[in-house]
Amino acid sequence: MFRNYLKIAWRNIVKHRFYSAINIFGLTVGMTCCFLIFMFVRFELSYDTFHRKADQIYRVSTDVKTPTELIRAAITSAPMGPAMKADFPEVLNMVRVNAASWLIQQGDNKYQEDKVLLADSSFFDVFSFRLLKGNAASALRAPFSIVLTERAAHKYFGDADPMGKSLLIEGEYSATVTGIMKDVPANSQLDFDMLASMSTLTKALQPGIDEQWGNFGMGTYVVLPPGADPMQLERKLPAFMESHIGDMMKRGSMYYTLRLEKLTDVYLHSTREAPVKGNLSNIYIFAVVAAFILFIAIFNFVNLATAKATERAKEVGVRKSIGAFTSQLTLQFLCETILLSLLAFVLSLVCCQLLLPAFNALVGKEIRTYVFDRAGDLYYFFGTAVAVGLLAGAYPALILAAYKPALVLKGAFGRSDKGLSLRKCLVAIQFVTAIILIAGVTIVYRQLAYMHQQPLGFKKEQMLVMDFTGVRNLQTSWPDMKQRIARLPGVERASFSSSVPGEGQSSAYTLIENKAGDMQPSNINLYSVDYDFIQQYQVKVIAGRAFSPAFASDSTAALLVNEAVVSSLGYAQPQDIIGKRYSQWGREGRIVGVVRNFNYRSLRAEVEPLTLRLEPRDFDVLSLNVSTAGIPATLSALEQAFTQLAPERRFSYYFLDEAFDRQYRTDYRFGRLILLAAILAIIIASLGLLGLISYIVTQRTKEIGIRKVLGASVINLLLLLSRDFLKLVMIAMLIATPVAWYVMHRWLQDFAYRIHIEWWMFLLAGLGAVVVAMVTVGLQSVKAALVNPVKSLRTE
Amino acid sequence: MIQLKHISKHYPVGFGKNAVLDDIDLTIHAGEFVSIMGPSGSGKSTLLHILGLLEEPSGGEYLFEGEPVHKMSEKKRTQLHRGSIGFVFQAYHLIDELTVYENIETPLLYKNVPSSERKSRVADVLDRFNIVAKKDLFPNQLSGGQQQLVGIARAIVAEPRVIFADEPTGNLHSDQARVIMQLFKHLNETDKITIVQVTHSEQNAAFGHRVIEIRDGKIR
Repeated sequence: MFRNYLKIAWRNIVKHRFYSAINIFGLTVGMTCCFLIFMFVRFELSYDTFHRKADQIYRVSTDVKTPTELIRAAITSAPMGPAMKADFPEVLNMVRVNAASWLIQQGDNKYQEDKVLLADSSFFDVFSFRLLKGNAASALRAPFSIVLTERAAHKYFGDADPMGKSLLIEGEYSATVTGIMKDVPANSQLDFDMLASMSTLTKALQPGIDEQWGNFGMGTYVVLPPGADPMQLERKLPAFMESHIGDMMKRGSMYYTLRLEKLTDVYLHSTREAPVKGNLSNIYIFAVVAAFILFIAIFNFVNLATAKATERAKEVGVRKSIGAFTSQLTLQFLCETILLSLLAFVLSLVCCQLLLPAFNALVGKEIRTYVFDRAGDLYYFFGTAVAVGLLAGAYPALILAAYKPALVLKGAFGRSDKGLSLRKCLVAIQFVTAIILIAGVTIVYRQLAYMHQQPLGFKKEQMLVMDFTGVRNLQTSWPDMKQRIARLPGVERASFSSSVPGEGQSSAYTLIENKAGDMQPSNINLYSVDYDFIQQYQVKVIAGRAFSPAFASDSTAALLVNEAVVSSLGYAQPQDIIGKRYSQWGREGRIVGVVRNFNYRSLRAEVEPLTLRLEPRDFDVLSLNVSTAGIPATLSALEQAFTQLAPERRFSYYFLDEAFDRQYRTDYRFGRLILLAAILAIIIASLGLLGLISYIVTQRTKEIGIRKVLGASVINLLLLLSRDFLKLVMIAMLIATPVAWYVMHRWLQDFAYRIHIEWWMFLLAGLGAVVVAMVTVGLQSVKAALVNPVKSLRTE
Repeated sequence: MIQLKHISKHYPVGFGKNAVLDDIDLTIHAGEFVSIMGPSGSGKSTLLHILGLLEEPSGGEYLFEGEPVHKMSEKKRTQLHRGSIGFVFQAYHLIDELTVYENIETPLLYKNVPSSERKSRVADVLDRFNIVAKKDLFPNQLSGGQQQLVGIARAIVAEPRVIFADEPTGNLHSDQARVIMQLFKHLNETDKITIVQVTHSEQNAAFGHRVIEIRDGKIR
C-alpha cells in the first residue's frame, strides 16, 4: 500500500514538474535558510558551554556607585578574587585574567600580539581548555611563563617543538614556553592566542597591584560547588567589601558592590560591556525571520496544492468508491507532501554545506565547518523537514479526502472554490511578511547611512593613526618623534593622544567643583592629548581656550571638558565652568576650556562626559593628517621613520574613518542578513504567486477566450486577472505598516542618534510588493490574454 | 439483496427544494441483471448512487442484504465498498497516474490482500479480459473500450456480489458497447454477480432480465 502511495506521489511530482519545481525550490530555500540560522542561533547559545564546570563558574563583576552615577563594570581589581577565595569556603577555586597587547619576538619573527591573556595558574583547573603539552597545574605558575595555542606555536616556531624555548616580550623580558594548548574554540568569551602567567604582572611588571583594591582591570571567575545558589554568596559580598575596604570606599565616596554572573549567561544576557558579546534581540529577529521564510514556502505549498485539488478530485472519488477510508486518503496525500519535503530536505543539506563558508563570512565567525559537525542536529533538521511536510500537506489532504465521491464522479464541479479564502489569506500573509522585511531593510540601511554621514563633531577623513604603544622613551622624546614624522612629505599635521574616537578610552575618578561650590566626584572618561590634538581633530572650543604651550601651567594643571560635563555639573552656560577647580588622578588645577560634544564613541550612545588633559605618559597613538595623493609613498616613509625611532616595535597603522565605522560592523552584518532574508522571502513569495496565477490562467483559458470573442481588450483581461491580487497586496500593506513600524521603532531605540521613521518608507515597501506582484501576475495574464481565442476554445 | 422503501432525495434550491427521487420502492434480488432507464434528469444516476452507498437518501429506508444502510457507520460502508460492491463508470474513471495493472490492483490493496494472492488475482483478471499485453500502459494510452474493460476488471477483481454500472457504454461506439454488455451478461450468468446498470439504450437494456423505468423521480 505504502509503495503504491509513493509511486503515485512520485508520478505526480514528475507529471506536474512546474509546480513541483516551485514547491521544492521554495522549500529548499526556506529550509536552507532555516537550517543555517538554526546553526547560527545554536552557536550563539553555545558560548562557554564546553567547559566541564560551566554550570559552576561565575564571573565576578563590579557595580561602582559614585555620587552621580552607577557604573556597571564587567571587571574587578586584582585583590578581590584571591580575597574571596580566602574568605569563603564555598569559593572552590578562582582565576583572574587580564588582557594585554604585547610585542613578542622570536629570532627574526616579531609580532604585536593583541590577544594575550594573563591568567592565574588555576586557569586550566577552572576552565576546560585543552592543554596538549605541559603541566596544567604549574604551566602558569612562574613569572614569564607562556602557554601558546597551536596556532601561535606554529607562527613562531613552525614545526619545531616550542616547549622550554624562550620568547622576548616587549623587547625586554625573556619568557619561557611552558605549554601548548588547543586553539580557543570560536564560542568562547575568553578569546586569546596565548596565555601568560598572572605572576608576570603581579610579581614582575606591576608589583603591588595585588594590594590595589581600587585599580580595576581584571576579569575574575570563581567556581562554586555543584548546585550552589550564587545568590547566597552574592548576599555576603557587601559585608565582605565593607570588611576589606570600607574606609577607603567612604573616603572616596565610591562604593563597590560585587555581583556574580553565570558564565554561560555572560555572552548573551549580561548588560555589561565586553569585547566578546552577543546580541539576544538580533538572535530573536533571525529566528523569527527564518520561521517566516519557511512559512512563506509552506504557504506556497498549501496554496498550490489546494488550488490544484480539483485535479485530484476524480482520483479521490474513485478510491473512495472502491473502498478507501478517508484516513487512508489523508495519509496518501500527506505521503506526497512529505516526500516532496524530504527531497527539499536533502537538497537543502547540500545547499547548507555549500553555503556554509559564505555564511560564516557573513556572520563574521566560524560557526561550524561542516553541517554535520554536530550529528545530533541532523535529527532536528529531519524533524523539521517532516513537520514541514505535515504542515504543508495537512490542509490540502483534508480538503481532498473530504470530497464526496458522488459529486466528483458525476463531474458536478469545475473550479474549486474550496479554501479560496484561505488561499487569499495565505497570499496576504506572504505579502505582509515581504512588506515588513522590505520596510525593515529600508530602515536599517537608512540608519546605517545616517550613522555613516552624521557629522561627528571632529574630522575623521584622511586621518591616519599610527600605533606608538610601548615605544621606549616616548614620554620624554615625543616632541622630537612627532616633529620627525610631521616633516615627512605627505604628512600635514600630527598629534599624540592616548586614544582616538571609536577606539575606547580610559576613565578616571574625578572631582570637579559644581554649581553649589562642592567638589562633585564622578568617574569621567579621559583623553590624554598633546597641544595640537584639538586643532587637528577640528574639535570646536566653545568657551575658554584650548591647550597652549604659551601657558606653562597647562602641562600640569589645565583641564578641558566637553559640554556633557558642563550640564552634568548643573552649569547653564559653558563659560560658567571656566576657572572652576578639579582634582583628577594626582593632578589638581582649573578648567580652562569647554569643547563642543563630539562623538568619540559610536552613535548608538549619547556623548558621555569627557575630560582632556596634557599627559605624555599615556600617549599611545599618533594621528596624522595625510594628503590623499601618494599614500603608498607616505606609508613607506612612515614605516622607515618608525623603524628608526623604535626598532624594537612593529609598524602598524589604520585609517580613522575605517576604524570608526568598524564599530558598526555588527549592524552592517545585521543589515546584510536582513536584506538577504527579504530578497529570499520575496523570491519565494513571488514564485508561489507565479504558480498560483499560471494555474488560474489555465483554468480560465476558456473564459478568457469567450471574453475575447465578446470584445474584451488585453487591458480588460489583465485587470480581470490581477485585480484580486492587487487588492490582497493593498490589504497586506495596511496590515504590515503598523507591525513594521512597531518592530523598527523598537530596533531604533538602541541608537541614541537615529533616523525618524517616515511614511514613505512603508509606501516604498508596499510599492515594491505591488511591482513584484504586478510583474508576476501581469506576465502570465498578458500571455493568456494574447492567446488566439480560437485556439483556447478548441481545446475544450 | 436490495430493498428500498419510500426512498426520496431532494436538494435545497434557493428557498425551496428540488425533489430528485420521490417515494421509490424497489427490490432487487441476488443474481438479477437490472437496467434502470429514463430520460436525462429523471434521477436514475442519483438512484444508482444511493444504491451504491455513494449518496445518502433524504428519507426512506434502504436495506442492503437485510441490513439497514442508514444505520451503518462510515467504516462499515467502506467495508461494503471493499468487499461487496463494484462500480463501473461512464467516464471509466481510471486513476491516470497508475498503470493498468496498478489500477486493477488498487482495490485489493485497500482490502489488504497479501501480495502473492494479489498478483495471481490481477493476473487472472488480465488474462480473462485479454489485456495482459496492456498491463504496463497508462490509461491515456488506451482506447475508450479498452479503458472500460480495465474499469470492469477493476470492479470485479475484489469479487463483489453486485456491480453498479452508470451508463457503462455511454462513451463507446456500438461494437465496443456490445462487447461490454456481453461481458456483463457473462459475469451475471457464470459468476452470479448481481448487476444494476443505468442506460439510455434499449439494446443494452435487453441484455438484462428486467427494466425499471424512472421518470420525474418516480418509478413507472
